This record gives sequence, structure tokens and C-alpha cells, in this order.
Amino acid sequence: MKRRRHPLDGLEEDIRDHIERETSDLIATGMPPEEARHAAIRKFGNIARVGEETRAVWNWAWIEHLRQDMRYAGRVLRRNPGFAAVAVATLALGIGMNTAVFSVVNAVLLRPLDYPHPERLVWLADYDARIKRDAVASPDLMFWRQHGESYTMMAAYGPQQAAIAAGGAAQQVSGVVVAGDFWSLTGARPALGRLFGPQERDRLVLAWDLYARQFGADPAVIGKSVVVDGRAVTITGVLPRAFRFQFPMWWQAVEPQPVEAYFPLPAADIAMFRSVSAVAALKPRVRIAQARAELAVLEKRAQATHPVNMRFATHLRIEPLAQKLNGAARPALLILAAAGALVLLIACLNMANLLLVRATVRQREIAIRAALGAGRGRVIRQLLAESIALAVAGGAAGLALARGAVAILVRLSPNAAPRLAETTIDARVLLFTAAAAIVTGLLFGAGPAIALWRANLHDSLKEGARASCGPSGLRLRRLLVAGELALAIVLLIGAGLLVKSYWRMHAYPPGFAPESIVTMKVRLAGPQYSEREKYEAYMRELLRRVESAPGVRAAGVSNWFLFDGVPFPSDTKPGQTHVIRLNASSPGYLKALGVRLLRGRWLTGADAKGGHVLLNENMARAAFGTRDPIGRQILTPAPATVVGIVSAVKCAELDADPPPEIYIPHEQLPFLSGTDVVVRAAGDPAEIGPEIRKLIAGIDPSQPVYDVKTLERALSDSIAPRFFNLFLLGTFAAAALLLALVGIYGVIAYSVAERTREIGVRMALGAQRRQVVGMVVREGLIMALAGIVAGLAGAWLLTREMASLLYNVRPNDAATFAAVAAALGTAAILACWAPALKAALVDPVVALKYE
Amino acid sequence: MELLQGTLDVLILRTLLGGPAHGHAIVKAIERNSEDVLQVEQGSLYPALHRLIRRGWIAADEGVSENNRRAKFYRLTVRGRKQLQVETTKWDRLARAIGRILRPAQEEAQS
Repeated sequence: MKRRRHPLDGLEEDIRDHIERETSDLIATGMPPEEARHAAIRKFGNIARVGEETRAVWNWAWIEHLRQDMRYAGRVLRRNPGFAAVAVATLALGIGMNTAVFSVVNAVLLRPLDYPHPERLVWLADYDARIKRDAVASPDLMFWRQHGESYTMMAAYGPQQAAIAAGGAAQQVSGVVVAGDFWSLTGARPALGRLFGPQERDRLVLAWDLYARQFGADPAVIGKSVVVDGRAVTITGVLPRAFRFQFPMWWQAVEPQPVEAYFPLPAADIAMFRSVSAVAALKPRVRIAQARAELAVLEKRAQATHPVNMRFATHLRIEPLAQKLNGAARPALLILAAAGALVLLIACLNMANLLLVRATVRQREIAIRAALGAGRGRVIRQLLAESIALAVAGGAAGLALARGAVAILVRLSPNAAPRLAETTIDARVLLFTAAAAIVTGLLFGAGPAIALWRANLHDSLKEGARASCGPSGLRLRRLLVAGELALAIVLLIGAGLLVKSYWRMHAYPPGFAPESIVTMKVRLAGPQYSEREKYEAYMRELLRRVESAPGVRAAGVSNWFLFDGVPFPSDTKPGQTHVIRLNASSPGYLKALGVRLLRGRWLTGADAKGGHVLLNENMARAAFGTRDPIGRQILTPAPATVVGIVSAVKCAELDADPPPEIYIPHEQLPFLSGTDVVVRAAGDPAEIGPEIRKLIAGIDPSQPVYDVKTLERALSDSIAPRFFNLFLLGTFAAAALLLALVGIYGVIAYSVAERTREIGVRMALGAQRRQVVGMVVREGLIMALAGIVAGLAGAWLLTREMASLLYNVRPNDAATFAAVAAALGTAAILACWAPALKAALVDPVVALKYE
Repeated sequence: MELLQGTLDVLILRTLLGGPAHGHAIVKAIERNSEDVLQVEQGSLYPALHRLIRRGWIAADEGVSENNRRAKFYRLTVRGRKQLQVETTKWDRLARAIGRILRPAQEEAQS
């Protein structure tokens, strides 16, 4: 058969042909050829306009058809409000979840930094494996900046906590020190005043929020002097409201507050050895590999000029800044995006299922329309229009759902991924939602539309024909539901593994109760505390006040630090050294934490002069192996005697084992700095926290007391990204389960309705109600088992992709697989139960008359 | 004389009653049959033709013209034939009505 062409095909040819004919007609009347051609064109009129108007005839038709289809679809759906509501809710769930995940992916992975030329920015780092951190020594950076040829700009920054006092009490502020080309690299422009130059010291630039909060948005603060950690510092400018610090912040796990103050790097730190983070902008057309090669050469030269013992272990790295920034969040987000796609697929299968049921009801309507001359294409287009109308309505509802979901997500864990808090529904997200809705509509609409057309329409017009999708239709529907269950089980197992990881993280040793422990920090900076005597006087006063406060069971102060180059007594290789973690704490600290004494004795005030230490069990194992450490010597780095072993508890990171730690008396702290205060409350920790804070602030109002929270809260903050993943994947799995159960219920209920007559016959012939229930449930169970087996196989293959998200759980943890399979099987049986009971209540007399 | 708005459609249908024709031939036929009183801006034929195709009153076929060139031939469909009847009746009534208004005396005299 020759394919019918669209009437518009060859329009230009038709017009050219027309003009040629007119031209030859005119030539035949004796006109010269050139003149004839012009006359023909004149008689024809504006060729371009004619083409446009002709095409417009069809454009308009296309829109007209679409409008007709949509209007009809709207009418059909209004006549079936129940169906429309279920369909829109299903799609809203599927599309909404994907929109929410996409808007997060968009904010974290896709949207470039709000800085000029974000694609040229690279991260420079010297990875130190012992402290597990990327760092650059500031002299190295200055050297690279001076000699490197690959870069247009290079900047350094580092965290700077500061107590800013401007009349009255000091405020703790999270800031950064910046050096090099930081301002030009970020494209920062001051909203007020000016940005300090590279040679200036003791200057301060405020973020807009801090300017508004602490300085009442008063422009007079520009040029004023404020006291920062006891030094006079001049405010030179304020950054615009929209400016954000978007570079990687390794300290965010500990200090999650936004960066609100910018200080110049102190002169001493530039010359001295200080660890900073470094970002550079590559020159246009310089590739990262070139920069890497150049840096390696520079590094060799630098090594020759500085003393070797002043350097970190060198593992020089350059990587694109975007990659560094979201590298950690990327795998989890991609897994979540895939999980979202699975939910949408389940929603599609569910919709296809619903439409198949409706198709059987509508066969006659379609047959009549076909008999009245509606073309095959027209009918299918009409059915697709209904699917798309549903999908668009679902997409719109989903968008509203996603807005709510994003707001909740950002509130629950704003620091789960870099820039997560900047998540918004922007144009790209809207485009994604629209595309998702239309593709979804086509996907779930196409199958049923084709199936409907293939059905023998002639038969459905016959008198007395009952609407039924027949055995093959029901088989297809069972297959769809089994598919839904299989997809749901994959998601459920993924969520189950995360839940189990979460459990494992929260498996606390007996006696450790982080919910009744309150922690806070004291800044303790400034010249008045640079003498040990005054510092210790403050600490004694702090401990006296806090320990005697009502409602306090135990309280202590603690300061931990790392010390490199210490050998362990159990070392076998000569010259081997380790990084040790020393915790200078008061005797009440370990008791407040609920740490148990395993062997030996506690440290007391009498040990303040030093020489005696406690080890936690992990440290005892690491340093002494199987030998009993009590009474033995350990280097800290001064030799000390181990007097006791205590249990190890997680007091910073939930998703890591407690670090090996050595406890020394607080008086032995080798430097003077702020401190952590830990209080074990007898009553409500939420009440006692602010009171203790007031009590400590009363000692010296110029020293801010901040970050008051329960240890439970601090611990859960430490796993914010994991909680985020668990929350999202858990929600997806719940949605998938719900959709799959609705699917299985729908198919069984329909099949029972179809078989009412058969069931009546069986019962008339003596079948027991129990047997009828069994028959129906068996039908559902076969479907469920097929889905479960397929899903388990799929999960077995897929869960290994999420190994990095798990903690102490293997990706194919048999217990989780079994539990989820059993739970889903039970849920499936329950979903079949209502239709089964309905089948059992069939009255044979009524059923046999049923037509 | 300029063509009245909307009358081109019915003229095309009438022309095609005589058998399939290509675009140029339709224009020529309209001009000739009106004894060259009606001047069609030839280009305006094409939007009209497509409007008629869309409504299903005429159809286009690929064919070979007298000088052996590929050309589109337009023909009347069954629905188009019915539509022509409707339009012709409408036109006759309209023409009579306008005629009565413009020349009442003459009408009377004749009757």
C-alpha cells in the first residue's frame, strides 16, 4: 500500500509548477518570456505569504484537534471521578517524587556555582591520609601561585570561628580566612563599603545576614572597629544578600553554620606553616592534565627549597571543583534518582492496569465510534489524549507535592549535601516535570490503546456481549502486577538495608544514653586567656558552677587533639609511628558521657600533675594488642602509666567506630583554647541546656557559649546525609509498596467480579466457602510469588551498587532479603483477603442469574 | 471584479464538479467561466484548497499532467459533492434576496 502523504508535502513544488504554467500561458499570448514570468508572479501574489497561510490552515487544525481531544478527555474523566481521582493520585505520587529528587539533583549536581567561569575552577589539594583531609601548606600555595603558568587566579581559605563583640555580649560567628585571589575568583562585589586587599590585616567583611542580624543593617558600621577574639578589627564592607560561600567545607560536619564573616589570612600564617584549602581558576583552554603535570614539577622545586620535615605527606591532587564539591553526594543522589524512576515505573504499570480494566468497559463505546467512521488513528489519539490529560493533571498535583517534599527535606537535613539548602523549583525542574508527565502519559497510555484496538470490536457490539478483557487481558494484567511487586521489592530491600545500617549505627553500649547528655562549646579566646593561670581559673570556675547546678548528674570539659609520630609498645617494625588522639578532660567528662570503667581505676583530681592516663578499649587493643596495659608505659609523647581501661563510645560520628583515644587530665592540655562542655542531665535536657549556657556565660560575657544541643542531636547531625538517603528511599519504598498492593488488590477484585458466575456454579455444586477463599488467595499468591522471586533476583544484582551507603551490613544481607520477602508476601495475601471474602459471600442463586 | 470573501471555496467545488484538475487549471477555469469578470489573486487558491482538504470536501492525488510532469490533482469527495449542493442552494437564496432588494420594481413588473 502506498503511504498517504500529507497534503502539505510538496507545496513549494505545487506553487512553482503553478507559476510556470501561468508563464507559459502568457508566452503563448505573445508576451516576451522575461516579462511573462514577472507577470505570472504578480498575478500569483506574495509567494511566501501564500505558503504561510496554507500551512496555517493545518497548524490551526492540529491545535483544533488537540483541543477537541482534550475537551472530550476532560468530559470522560469528569464522568468517572473515582477513576480520575485514583489515577491522578497515583501519578502525582510517581511524578512528584521524581520532581523532588530531580530538584535536589539539579541544585547539588547540575546547577553550576554562582561564580564566574565555574567550569574553570579546580580544587588543589595535598591529601593527608593520616588526618583524612585535603590540605595545602600556605607557603606551598604561595609558591604555586607565583610560579604556576596554568592558572589565572588562585585562592586559599580556611575555617575561622570567631567571637565578635560589638557592644554587649560577644557572638560566636562561623567565618573563613581568605587569601590570594579569593574575591576575584568568586566574583564578589561589595554591597556596601569595600573588600579588603591582599596586604591588609585585621579587617572584616560581613555577609549580609550577619550584617542584618548583629548590626541591625546599619550602614554606619562600615569603617567601625569591632573586637574579634580580643583584637580590634575594622569592618571594611558587606557582601550582597545573594552572595554565598560555596566552596568545599570539610569542617561542615563539625560546624554546619553558614559562613558569615570573611577575614584576611594573618600575616604570620602566610609565612608559617598553616593548612588551608585551595581553589584555582585555570586559564582558558588549559586542560586539567597540563595543570597536573606542571604542579608535579613545581612540587619538586618546592621540596628543594623548604625543609622536608615541615611538609605534609605529599599526594598532590587537582580535580574539577564541581567534582570535589559533590563527589560524595553523587552516588547517593544517583541511586535515589534511580529509585524515583522505579516508583514512576510502578505508577505507570498501575495506570496501565487501571486503563486495561476501563478498556473492557469502554469497548462498546469505542466500537460505536469506529463504526461511525472514526479512523483508527483518531481513536488511538483520543485514548492517548486521555492518558496525557491524566498525566498532566498528575504532574501538576505532583509539582505541588514536590514543593512540599523539598521544603520538608531541606528542613530535615539542610547539610546532607552541599548546596542542598538552595534547592528550588526552577525552570529546569518545571521542564523535567512536564517531560516526565508527557512521557509517562504516552508510556502507560500506549499499551492499553493498542490492546483495545486489537480487540475484536465487532463482537463487542453484539447484543448481550459482556464487557470482559478475556483470559489474555487478565494474563497481561497479572504480569503487570507481578512486575510491580518485583520493582517494589527491589526498593523495599534497598530501604531495608539502609534501615538495618541505621540500627547498627545506633547500637549503643549499655549505659550510654546520648539523649540525656547536653553538649556545648565555649570560645575562650582573647589576650585575657593567653596565660595558663587565668585560663585554669576560668575552667575551675566553670566546672564548679556547672557541677553544682541543679539537675546535673555529672559534668566535665574536654579538648581533643591529634599528635603525630608516636610509637606503640606493641609495634614490631622499628621506627613505626602513629597519629594518636589525646583527650584532655576533667574527671567528670567520662562519667557524664556514661563511659564504663573496664579495668583499673578512674583518673581523679590527684592525677592533675600528669603521668597517669586512661585508654579506651580501642586504644588499648591498638597499642598493646593482647597484653594487659594496666601499669605499663605509653608515650603521649611524654611517657605515662596506664591506670585504667574504659569502654569506647561514639561521641562524634555515628557511622564510624569510636576512635582509639588516650585520656589525660585537663590540666595537661599543651595549648590553651576553647573547650567542649558535656553535661549529663537528670531531668529534661532541653530545659537544662539553656540554663547551663546562661550559667557559663555569666562567668565572662565576652566569651560566647554556643552550639548547645543534646549528644543525640549531635550524633544524628553527623549522619545527616545517611538520614537523608534513608528518609527518601524509605518514602519511595513505602509508595512502591502502596502502589503494588493497590495493583494486586485491583486485579484480584476484578477477577472475582469476572468469575462471580463460575463461583456460584462451584458453590451450587458443593464447594465450601473456605475453598473459594483459598482459590482466590491462591490466585493472588501465585502472582505475588512470581513478583517476589523476580524482585529478589533483581535486588541481588542491584543492591551491590549501594554498598557505599551501608554501614556494617552486606549489600545482599540474607536476613533483610528474607524479612522483606516475607513482609511483602503477607501484605499481598492481606490485599487479596477482601476480594476473597467477597467471593465467599457470593449467593449461588443470585450469581447464576448474574449477567 | 474582486471575489467576495468565502465564495472562492464554493467556486472551487463547482469547478471540480467537472472532474479532477490541478491548481492552475482551477484558476483558469474560474476566470474563463466568469467570462474574465472575476479576477482571483492566484496564490489565494492554495489556502482555500487546503481548507477544503482539511474539511474532507476535496482530496489531492498525485498524478501526471498532460506534458508528462508530476502534479497534484484535486477531486471532489462524496462529502464535497453534498456540500456543493448545500452551498449552491444557499447562494441562490442569497442572490435572490439581494436581487429583490436592489430591483423591487422590475421584479414586480415581471410578475
